[in-house]
Amino acid sequence: MTFTPDLLSRCISCGFCLPACPTYELTKDERSSPRGRIALMRALETGTLPMNDPGVAEESSFCLGCRACEVVCPAGVEYGQLLEEWRDATWRGRRRPVVVRALLRAVDRTWKVRLLGLFRRHARRRTGGSASLMLGCFERFLYPKVSRSAVALDPRLDVDPGQGCCGALHAHNGELAEGRALARKLGERLPGTIVTTSGGCAAHLADVLGRDRVVELSAWLSGPASAAGAALPGPAGPILVDGRPARIGLQDSCHLRNGLGVWREPRAILAALGEYVEVPGAASCCGAAGTYALVRPEDSAKVVAPKVDALRRLDLDILVTVNPGCTRQLQTAVRKAGLRTRVVHLAELAASARTDGSGR
Amino acid sequence: MTQTRSAADDLVRLLGPDRVFHDEATREAYARDATPLFHRRPDVVVTPASTAEVAEVVRYAAETGTPIVPRGAGSSLCAGAVALAGGISLVLTKMDAILEVSRPELLAVVQPGVTTIALDEAAGAQGLMFAPDPGSRTVSTIGGNIATCAGGLRGLKYGVTRNYVLGLEAVLGTGEVIRTGGRLVKDVAGYDLTRLFTGSEGTLAVITEATVGLLPRPAAAGYGLAYFGDLAGASTAVDAIVGAGILPATLEFLDNTCIRAVEDFAVLGLDVTAGALLLFGDDGDPATVERTVARMAEVCSSVPSCREVTLAADVAAADALLAARRCSLPALARLGTLTLLEDVSVPRPRMPEAVARIADIAARYGITMGTFGHAGDGNLHPTAVVDADDPAAVEAAHSAFAEVFRLAIDLGGTISGEHGIGAAKLPYLGARLGETHLGVLRRVKAAFDPAGILNPGKLGS
Ligand SMILES: Cc1cc2nc3c(=O)[nH]c(=O)nc-3n(C[C@H](O)[C@H](O)[C@H](O)COP(=O)(O)OP(=O)(O)OC[C@H]3O[C@@H](n4cnc5c(N)ncnc54)[C@H](O)[C@@H]3O)c2cc1C
Ligand code: SF4
Ligand code: SF4
Repeated sequence: MTFTPDLLSRCISCGFCLPACPTYELTKDERSSPRGRIALMRALETGTLPMNDPGVAEESSFCLGCRACEVVCPAGVEYGQLLEEWRDATWRGRRRPVVVRALLRAVDRTWKVRLLGLFRRHARRRTGGSASLMLGCFERFLYPKVSRSAVALDPRLDVDPGQGCCGALHAHNGELAEGRALARKLGERLPGTIVTTSGGCAAHLADVLGRDRVVELSAWLSGPASAAGAALPGPAGPILVDGRPARIGLQDSCHLRNGLGVWREPRAILAALGEYVEVPGAASCCGAAGTYALVRPEDSAKVVAPKVDALRRLDLDILVTVNPGCTRQLQTAVRKAGLRTRVVHLAELAASARTDGSGR
Repeated sequence: MTQTRSAADDLVRLLGPDRVFHDEATREAYARDATPLFHRRPDVVVTPASTAEVAEVVRYAAETGTPIVPRGAGSSLCAGAVALAGGISLVLTKMDAILEVSRPELLAVVQPGVTTIALDEAAGAQGLMFAPDPGSRTVSTIGGNIATCAGGLRGLKYGVTRNYVLGLEAVLGTGEVIRTGGRLVKDVAGYDLTRLFTGSEGTLAVITEATVGLLPRPAAAGYGLAYFGDLAGASTAVDAIVGAGILPATLEFLDNTCIRAVEDFAVLGLDVTAGALLLFGDDGDPATVERTVARMAEVCSSVPSCREVTLAADVAAADALLAARRCSLPALARLGTLTLLEDVSVPRPRMPEAVARIADIAARYGITMGTFGHAGDGNLHPTAVVDADDPAAVEAAHSAFAEVFRLAIDLGGTISGEHGIGAAKLPYLGARLGETHLGVLRRVKAAFDPAGILNPGKLGS
């Protein structure tokens, strides 16, 4: 038994999810649609397709795991959960892409994660507060300024530099048990509320530890933190560009939006920081999708292409992200396209607005 | 297997490798439509990009006696798009160009793979609308809509797909391409093949282009909700509304089971304790809409079992209500592991009796049945939600539906209002039409598809 039985039987093949799926949009081939993939999972479950069928393997990898299909499904099919179970079964052992294997191994022990952040200037201040900031594994290494900004925004946040990885990466890449174990371990290490700057980690942690334990930063800032006086915008008011309020757009984090239903909060914050502009397709995947951009760079580029077109038309000053993978993906895409738009994490933008209003 | 291979090889030679798929995974992905319990992998999936390519595939199929099943979005609810005899699944979703929208002529020319919503949006950009709006409009294709003569949520005032098909280009079962009708409002040259193809469920021809009528887009729309003690009460209200000389666009109802399922998904604050809900609405110029909606609210309130009437505050609220109604069927799937839906239609005045007797039948068989439907059209969708692993329950549902069909026919109604016959309802077609009529259908099919390759085992067989 590969799949939790009730999850598969929920799908009635109505097809309502087709228009939401970025890979179906690319191919118009039902094999790469949510309904098609669920059909494949059913065939695996009943044994009418073998686990090593090349088409099945291809589709489990081609799927972005963005869960856009999940929120539009009236039958309540939990596609994200099904995909984790699917990859757990098909990617066992050597079938997992090499890059993915390397990445997962890089962060499967707390000491390795600490090593990643050792020489980076990420936040590391203990306050003994009841809410802890999650550092993320790759974020502390790639974007250490994000955690520094988060504690600048809410100085009460406790930062334990000894924390490990949350396991989202593992869960999404076919190591479901390991991913869950890492999340539970992090939950023990950081008691109380865990505040995270990564949408992907937030959804995974909430899934394992329960919704009440985990709050993503924008939700934290507009909820508990603002109630405690850490309100926005800061003393310097809106961010100005050439003497006018900056034009700011957002790229949703798929798992934050589709998994946790958080999408109003970041928008409200940005509306206070400048002139908020809704980017067409902001809610759909940017193609970063965890390890996707590394494993399938060509497809990832195809997924981001319409976004780059939209950004070119809008000519924004700033594009804000709420997940480190999206930051990386969009920074690269925007640079390649030669756009002037600056891509930055919400924490950094909000913190800079409070210090000097520069948005830098 | 070898036969499969060679058909695929032949088709690759004809159309090139980009249009022909026969790997197991692709075949599995096209093995179903939205009808439960029907499943068969086609031997090969072909995605033509032009009428010429369609004609080539059909000619090949006719020569080799290979079954061919046209497919749009695969949202059929009667197994119309399942290749039950194997063969070719002919997927038309890549022919999705909107060739023309003409405002002065109030029409559009489209390829069959255009979705219903895309056509309506293109029309909307010019101040027009495409009136048929099946619940599946975000996915269903125009080709599929025409092939099933789809209805929708505003059939009472605007009719169904058949009322908007002006002309077709189609490939017959011989591979010949014909054009029927066209841009004319009036044209009686020859038999009305446009109407014959409309609702032919892919058994007479493959539709490759359609000229469809559009209407000026109404300036305003207004909607309201009325709650009743039971579905019979809501049906009485529907009858009273039409009886009062009001012809609104929308009269849709849901029973308590459906209200709870929909509320669970859409979270609109519906009254989940009500026995039934009637969604009423109209469109047109603002003053008329306001008056009609107010009158409907008044009529509803005067029905004895009416509990409450509320009006949608704005367009967003109305859209949310309509979207929620469209999701009734998949939302019901939350209640069990197997969702079996029917589509009977009765003369409107017989509806209160029909819904009461359907509830009796469900109770007698001891199954959960939610009923919703296009109340204004007398079109009911009783839906059984059962445990797939309980053969007795599945059997009971089937027996209950056999009674529901008989009931519909007794009341002067029919076994399918809009979803079609396909394979799922073929066993009951004789009871509705009689042997002579069935024989005529077979002879008609033979005239268009002498080799019997187009969607075999469905209508006309
Ligand atoms: C949730 C849900 C709600 C629905 N609501 C409604 C509703 O309100 N009203 C309604 O009428 N129906 C409704 N339906 C049923 C279905 O959506 C319609 O029958 C629709 O018209 C089918 O369109 P499709 O593109 O999915 O066609 P498919 O399902 O792919 O095919 C349907 C039939 O048409 C044939 N066909 C498809 N394309 C062509 C073509 N180009 N040439 C020849 N034959 C072709 C197929 O062979 C098949 O027999 C609903 C379905 C679902 C799942
Ligand atoms: S996943 Fe949901 S929306 Fe998609 S086909 Fe299945 S039931 Fe329909
Ligand atoms: S997770 Fe995203 S890419 Fe995968 S099937 Fe769902 S919508 Fe498509």
